[in-house]
Amino acid sequence: MTTAGEPAPAAGVAALLTGSRCPACGAAFFPPRQVCSRCLGKLEEAPLSARGTVYTHTVVHQSAPAFETPYTLVYVDLPEGVRVLGQLAGEARIGMEVELEPDEQLGFRFRPVGEGS
Amino acid sequence: MSDVYVLGVGMTRFGKHPDRDATDLGAEAALEAIRDAGIEPRQIEGAYCGHVFQGMAMGQRVLAHIGLAGIPLTNVENVCSSGAVSIREAALSIRAGEHDVVLALGVEHLTSRFQGALTPDPDDVEATVGLTMPGIYAMRATRYFEDYGVTRRQLALIPVKNKANAARNPMAQFQEAVTVEQVLGARPIAEPLGKLDCSPVTDGGAAAILCSAAAARRLNGRGVRLAASSLRTGTVDPEPVSMTFEPLTNAAARDAYERAGVGPGDVSLAEVHDCFSIAEALRVEGCELFPRGGYLHAVERGEASLGGRLPVNPSGGLLGKGHPLGATGVAQVVEIVRQLRGEAGDRQIEGAKVGLAHCRGGKAAGVEGAACTVQILVR
Ligand SMILES: [Zn+2]
Repeated sequence: MTTAGEPAPAAGVAALLTGSRCPACGAAFFPPRQVCSRCLGKLEEAPLSARGTVYTHTVVHQSAPAFETPYTLVYVDLPEGVRVLGQLAGEARIGMEVELEPDEQLGFRFRPVGEGS
Repeated sequence: MSDVYVLGVGMTRFGKHPDRDATDLGAEAALEAIRDAGIEPRQIEGAYCGHVFQGMAMGQRVLAHIGLAGIPLTNVENVCSSGAVSIREAALSIRAGEHDVVLALGVEHLTSRFQGALTPDPDDVEATVGLTMPGIYAMRATRYFEDYGVTRRQLALIPVKNKANAARNPMAQFQEAVTVEQVLGARPIAEPLGKLDCSPVTDGGAAAILCSAAAARRLNGRGVRLAASSLRTGTVDPEPVSMTFEPLTNAAARDAYERAGVGPGDVSLAEVHDCFSIAEALRVEGCELFPRGGYLHAVERGEASLGGRLPVNPSGGLLGKGHPLGATGVAQVVEIVRQLRGEAGDRQIEGAKVGLAHCRGGKAAGVEGAACTVQILVR
């Protein structure tokens, strides 16, 4: 798991996703929580990085009526140490680099970054 | 604290029952369990009823149907573990000395409540971006193939095995075996999983009569001992963890082994929560019944089949017997009790002494699973 190396969004640029961070032990969470599951410390809001790596994926063919199928779902590991689920615009592969973009219906989704490895 | 015994069991045929309702199915199962236990209905002192989507006062409706209204009853919702938790609560009430004879019930008329893919609660952040239950397990399968170098074709052996077992179970929804080619060629639901990798939408009821050691001796003398009934909820991990091993299943299993005083090597048969084909692998590996990443190879060698080293889901499991959510956990115990008593007909496992039932379900964002039970029954 990467825990460093990816800069948080620059000041003045709103992060697309907000998680929680524990000031006491450094653990990060998404979706946001109130209390740290590791040390029970009170959590603070923390913006999340826009780039991460695909941990796993699927193409969904049957879903709730609100969703047009098929669509690709990915679990993406972000450098803060959180795993975020989202739809991916494009074909997924484990280990590929992706980044967040706004989406009108979903709030956010991922798109591939260059060619990745 | 008293030991707890299962004195009698009953279940309806699992399947689609368009002209019946959950009350009717629950009543049939309860009456059969009472008859099987050989007790008078008025000897039942308390009741628990597991269900997920059946609305208010589900258990009370069943009791009213069978002449038992008036006794203490608690309805239980713990997603797919609801029925298993009704058994656990019944057992706890006996251990606490509150009751001697208790009815544990599970019911679901799912066809009238649901169609297609089950999804997490619509308020959940992962549901808002399109997560479905098949989608979660499909992503686990994708990663499992990557981590352990196994194939889609090997995964197809699980539905093939379970549907073959179901064909020997007259209470199962599916009565026909399927081939690997049929599993691979089925309509895709969430890749790599197809329709035959997913448990169906099912209606059904199941019931068990539980009692104290003293009552077991007094009443019919052939109770099966419920040696452990463990429950855990999923943790919020402070960092991403592997999705190809289930700490939640493992925590519940370890607690159950310790309480029962048995180990994985003592288990003669296991009924595990195969809501999806890949789930069976994750469950048996989480229960330490097979090595991590090794289950599909074991299935290939026939180890988990009837007649194998450790038959898994001899009843047909959720894939073959069907999955009426609230009834599933009770029906697993029904199968194990029948196996341990030597009453499992065409699918009897010779000399079965220790049975393990694993049930888990539900999903919330950032949590591995909502609830997981492991129960161990000993002849
Ligand atoms: Zn902390």
